[in-house]
Amino acid sequence: MESAVTPAILPDASGRLAGRPLEEWNAAYAKVENYFHALRIRNKVLLGDLVLRVLERAQRRAPAEPERSATQLAAEEMDRIVTEWFSEVLQSPPTKADNSLSTRGRLALLLADMPGRWQEQFLRPGPWPEEFTSAMREAFLRAGPDFQISKMTPRPLDLGPITALSNFGRLPYVRMALAWAGFAMLLIVLFRLTHGGFEQLVGWLGRFNH
Amino acid sequence: MADDPTISVVAAPRFRRAWRLFIFYSLALLLTGLVSLIFADLLWRTGWSASRTVLLVLFVILFLFASIGCMHGVFGFFLRTFGDGRRITNLKNYRDKNIDGISTAIVFPIYNEDIVRAYEGLRATYESLAKTGQLERFDFFILSDSTDPDKWVEEERRWFELIRELDALGKIYYRRRLDNEGRKSGNVRDFLNAWGRRYRYFMVCDADSVMRGETLVNLVKLMEAHPSAGLIQTVPATVNAESLFGRIQQFANRLYAPVFIAGLNYWALDLGNYWGHNAIIRTEPFMQFCDLPQLPGRRPFGGQILSHDFVEAALMSRENWEVWFAYDLEGSYEEAPQAMIENAQRERRWCQGNLQHGLVLFAKGLRGASRLHLILGICGYLAGPLWLAFLVTFNWIYWYQEYTGLSNIPVQAFTPYLSGLSGTAHALLIFVICMVVIMLPKLLALIDLANDWPRRKQFGGLGRATISVAGETVFSTLHAPLLMLWHTRFVVTNFLGISVGWTTQKRAAGGTTWLYALQRHWGHTLIGLVWGALMWWVEPILFWWFTPVLAGMALSIPLSVLTSRRSLGARTRAAGLFLTPEEIKLPDELLSLRSNLKIHELTGDNSPRPPHAGLAEAMLDPYVNAIHVSLLREKQFNPAYAEQLTKLGVGGDGVQALGEKLLAEGPDKLSATERLLVMADQRVMVWLHQQSWQRPGETLAAWWRGAILDYSRRD
Repeated sequence: MESAVTPAILPDASGRLAGRPLEEWNAAYAKVENYFHALRIRNKVLLGDLVLRVLERAQRRAPAEPERSATQLAAEEMDRIVTEWFSEVLQSPPTKADNSLSTRGRLALLLADMPGRWQEQFLRPGPWPEEFTSAMREAFLRAGPDFQISKMTPRPLDLGPITALSNFGRLPYVRMALAWAGFAMLLIVLFRLTHGGFEQLVGWLGRFNH
Repeated sequence: MADDPTISVVAAPRFRRAWRLFIFYSLALLLTGLVSLIFADLLWRTGWSASRTVLLVLFVILFLFASIGCMHGVFGFFLRTFGDGRRITNLKNYRDKNIDGISTAIVFPIYNEDIVRAYEGLRATYESLAKTGQLERFDFFILSDSTDPDKWVEEERRWFELIRELDALGKIYYRRRLDNEGRKSGNVRDFLNAWGRRYRYFMVCDADSVMRGETLVNLVKLMEAHPSAGLIQTVPATVNAESLFGRIQQFANRLYAPVFIAGLNYWALDLGNYWGHNAIIRTEPFMQFCDLPQLPGRRPFGGQILSHDFVEAALMSRENWEVWFAYDLEGSYEEAPQAMIENAQRERRWCQGNLQHGLVLFAKGLRGASRLHLILGICGYLAGPLWLAFLVTFNWIYWYQEYTGLSNIPVQAFTPYLSGLSGTAHALLIFVICMVVIMLPKLLALIDLANDWPRRKQFGGLGRATISVAGETVFSTLHAPLLMLWHTRFVVTNFLGISVGWTTQKRAAGGTTWLYALQRHWGHTLIGLVWGALMWWVEPILFWWFTPVLAGMALSIPLSVLTSRRSLGARTRAAGLFLTPEEIKLPDELLSLRSNLKIHELTGDNSPRPPHAGLAEAMLDPYVNAIHVSLLREKQFNPAYAEQLTKLGVGGDGVQALGEKLLAEGPDKLSATERLLVMADQRVMVWLHQQSWQRPGETLAAWWRGAILDYSRRD
């Protein structure tokens, strides 16, 4: 992995860099810097150096892929560089199918405390300190111990006649019968109230109290 | 269909408990019978009527509840004064038990909780356990049922921080379920199905629980000493209250509970109860006998059992496994609501669950004591509407008497002992008896404190404790009518099958806001004012008799707001009122909890986060994304989770399309369910992380461009 900015990628006479305006590379720079910042690379010198390494690879590709923006090229190269480095450190070949190496690598960085202890090792070519590589390779996050699968099954509760009562409303035609009974009761009440029943009601309330 | 049980235990002789039950409840009935007779005599003296029959029936029921409560206080007081040999901690020497090779899981089921508080409680428990030197015999599990995507991510991130700080990788585990089937009991069942067989015991803690390490070890030793014990429930001390309401409730819990629980243990013995947390459970019998069946019929009574704890204890007892209260084990803590409205919200949930026990009550094979626990739970909520009915009936009788101009002149009492009393004096006698029955347990708790010199200091001295009891009594008198109205509403709506939806409380830093209190209490205030006006109109003397009840309702808004204030809590504390042992001398585990929470507060680490902050973190932060995806990958190893993931459509093109929409249109364009679905797909989450950092800004939604910018500026 090369680490220096070569004269080949300096701006040309028209002020363009690898065939793209400087503003475009500026945006690409910001993109890559943001991601490394998110990886908690806080040392500015190191951060700048890492970003330039990525941009350099993007600039080499740029003339051959005029339809891609500088930002796209830089983002792709950033991903590639990081994944390649994970592959080397973790001694694990990259898998195209599920990007699991990227996830494992990031997790390993966190578990090995790269941001706190090993910033200078990030993206650096090997060999790396033994402590660092073993911390990275042994990093493994577990949500729980090995499963010991079983299946709890409820034992039925015999509620006796309550079961039948609680299912009463589900019996066929019960609701319809209740609605008819309610209607019949309403008719009876109406008849009673319109045939001297109101006075009786007052009298009944009185009896309730005496 | 359940398999045949592979574990059983021989039932212990029940003779002594039967006597205890008989004596305890006979005395409660005797007291109720005698006082009801005096009340019936009063009603008879003013002329019998059907409405008086109703009043008498209501009186008998309500007085029975009160006398059972009183008996708990009386029995508890005598047991604490003269010694109670039948305590599980006293039956065998358990402290010398060796627990080498015994594995115990401590589980913390959480559901959209304040994660900082929940994890700091876990940390305090973990650190306290580490000090005992027995840490290697325990594993901790955070069992998340959270449905908020942001909470989910925050739980994962903070879990990782916690295990790194405590060096507890492989000791504290985190698992989030994909669905919430069975709520808390389903959450615990899911844990047991995955890992239960690895552990001889498991302990359930709530999100606000803290346990002392020594207590955890003692609970395991107790279980080892009692091979037929299926469950041991500690009595958690309420702690960390700051508002006036919280401190009053906390004081009541700390002063009265020891006496009450000693009384409860008198008749329950090894047929005790389970309160859902701060308890140790023998895993094997729990797994075989305590899975909860669905109840027949529809909600509110049918379907899933909501208050699972009482039923689980009853099922354990049904199979002859002992269930004990270890009420004298210190070092078990929980927190309580800090305001009246919060308290009522909790009561609403419990009410629904307890009323459902009305069906379980009829289950064949349950022990009598288990049925009593269920009945007492139900009665706690039925008492509200029954009391209201009593008051309304009484008012109706009074009004009718006035309205019809019927004579109020009483005839002679039917017992010669009361015949010399006027009707008013007779009524006053009954009132005084009722007050004595209600207040006696508080008085006995105070005498119990007076008898115990070291404990007096823990409550700030006898004088301050006495003033605090008086203050607590005044407050509970005003609070009781509100609970009556609330419980009535909960019971009625529950019977009608209406779900009472409450919005999350809008709390100011100082407590309940006036506007929120107005929204929640205007009905209570109106009832109090109208009822009071009617009484004044009917008979001013009656109005004055009802002042405590009416004042609670009419003043509910200021009462609710003022008692929720921390400033008043602090002032009463400075004045030495409502002090509790944990306030006088903060135990180490609570000190650790409080200091860590203060650090979070000072660093602003627990300040409110913008919407979708968790989702943004899971997508943009390379490390949080890696943690999230790794945890999702582990799910694939559990066949049950793998099946659920497939059912959800995880791994399909639909989720990928949602991911594309998320990037292009922003998180607001997806529903919470869709966001959860995207976040459950590890393949899509990896892809989203990559895409969000690689795509040109103009192809991302403006929301993501802003989020990435924010992210880039973070230190």
